[in-house]
Amino acid sequence: LTAVYFAFTGGHTTEILRLLSCLSESYSPRHYIFADSDKMSEAKIRSFEQKRSETFSNSQFTLDRIPRSREVRQSWTSSVVTTLYSILYSLPLTYKLKPDLILCNGPGTCVPVCISALLLGLLGIKRAIIVYVESICRVETLSLSGKILYHFSDYFIVQWPDLKEKYPKSVYLGRIV
Amino acid sequence: FRFKDSLAEDLRKADLVISHAGAGSCLETLEEGKPLIVVTNEKLMNNHQLELAKQLHRDGHVLCCNCSTLVETLRSMDLSTLKPFPPGQPEKFALFLDKVVGFQ
Repeated sequence: LTAVYFAFTGGHTTEILRLLSCLSESYSPRHYIFADSDKMSEAKIRSFEQKRSETFSNSQFTLDRIPRSREVRQSWTSSVVTTLYSILYSLPLTYKLKPDLILCNGPGTCVPVCISALLLGLLGIKRAIIVYVESICRVETLSLSGKILYHFSDYFIVQWPDLKEKYPKSVYLGRIV
Repeated sequence: FRFKDSLAEDLRKADLVISHAGAGSCLETLEEGKPLIVVTNEKLMNNHQLELAKQLHRDGHVLCCNCSTLVETLRSMDLSTLKPFPPGQPEKFALFLDKVVGFQ
């Protein structure tokens, strides 16, 4: 059994739920982490899990909120501060959940969670596999989260061939959402 | 019409969709198999919306225009030139992930 983490928010939620749609029940329990300012994501996740529990009776999942690490177009310096604050929140949460796998797809919220997981790995507490899937919107350039996590993730998945050329360490599986 | 929770029903009944370049709007429309005209506004939009719209246009799945050329596009459009949009394949992702975590 693999404990799984998902970090996302907003429009990314639809994408990540599509990514999860074909995963077997071995990926359980599922822990969803999202920004505390996001209302719609919770409803979408519950609906997804509800449908899932109709097929798999032992489906387990949890929901956790963390402070949003960066607003759209927030300045660099203040982003560093808010991200550090988010790391303070996500570190104890990541420690508590001790995931085997972290799956994230782009929003700033995933950076502190991944950094927390890396720290736990470095400290020898728990080593998680970090899989990052760049959004389908990203055809030619990476998001800021993508640019950061390209260097820190174990597997970095892109959905368009141009990005595979520009970022050779990435994995291209075609369109997966 | 203010914000509805879901436009899915309206989408199913529509013959033509004119939309901004948001990924959700574009993909949902294309997946329903409806012809789509994407209206871009380079001053307002985030760059990443524009990337997807341009690529979909290049691949022949949507017609593109901006606010000032919309009327002209509607007059001269030929929707039969639009190519169908194959669905994404999350099963490929599931297979990949199974290998990565050793579930094979």
